[in-house]
Amino acid sequence: MDDLNPLAGTAHLLDEVDKKLMVLLRDGRTLIGYLRSVDQFANLVLHRTIERIHVGTEYGDIPRGVFIIRGENVVLLGEIDREKEVKLPLKEVSVEEILDAQRREQEQRQDKHRLISKALKERGLSANADLISEDCF
Amino acid sequence: MLPLSLLKTAQSHPMLVELKNGETYNGHLVSCDTWMNINLRDVICTSKDGDRFWRMPECYIRGSTIKYLRIPDEVIDMVKEDAQVKSRNRAEMKPRGGVGGGGQNQRGRSGGRNTFANRGGGAGRASSQGNRPLAQGNKIK
Repeated sequence: MDDLNPLAGTAHLLDEVDKKLMVLLRDGRTLIGYLRSVDQFANLVLHRTIERIHVGTEYGDIPRGVFIIRGENVVLLGEIDREKEVKLPLKEVSVEEILDAQRREQEQRQDKHRLISKALKERGLSANADLISEDCF
Repeated sequence: MLPLSLLKTAQSHPMLVELKNGETYNGHLVSCDTWMNINLRDVICTSKDGDRFWRMPECYIRGSTIKYLRIPDEVIDMVKEDAQVKSRNRAEMKPRGGVGGGGQNQRGRSGGRNTFANRGGGAGRASSQGNRPLAQGNKIK
């Protein structure tokens, strides 16, 4: 049967359609939604999407609706296991709380970067752009 | 339905476009092509940090600079309804057999005739033709 399947042995996303997926974007954002469609560029359509923000062991969900994601911005995606989803070892908090926590985390990161670039400058070096860049991938 | 076809059906709807550099553009989709290049009208551009805004009557965005687009829920609902109608039509076509295209055409034409007759049902002219709406009315009396 597999011999007749033209997609046998090729990587494709068609099996993931209509499943609940987590998508990680190049900018570090995490989206969770139902995959409704894909094309040859791995452009995705996500339905009933939420953006999940993680800070430490806490997370918060922001409802976002329908996304058309341009494929080149996707790092990875995977199906969400419904059984494991109900017993996450993480604590859900409100959107305000998680945004607050995220802002604090970003400020800490910026402070760290300032410290690093200052230390490098004192040693006659320039700060490495990779350390400061927010593009994780 | 492919992602780019969905984008095409979202024409004239409001949407949010985020670019790779983090800027967002809110506006109504005017047109798009197979490279995801898009035209928006009545646009509000927001800077990456979200604290500066620019208003512009229209703008053109090169597809390759886009990170994602967010479209209203009703666009997906529209597609779902379309798909339902199409699958229903296919299901109706099957039992008839024969040449599919011909069968559908005939059904379409007879449907048109019925709707026309129903429209005339209230008029006196309809009685001489003895068409269905009047006959039903008689039964009720």
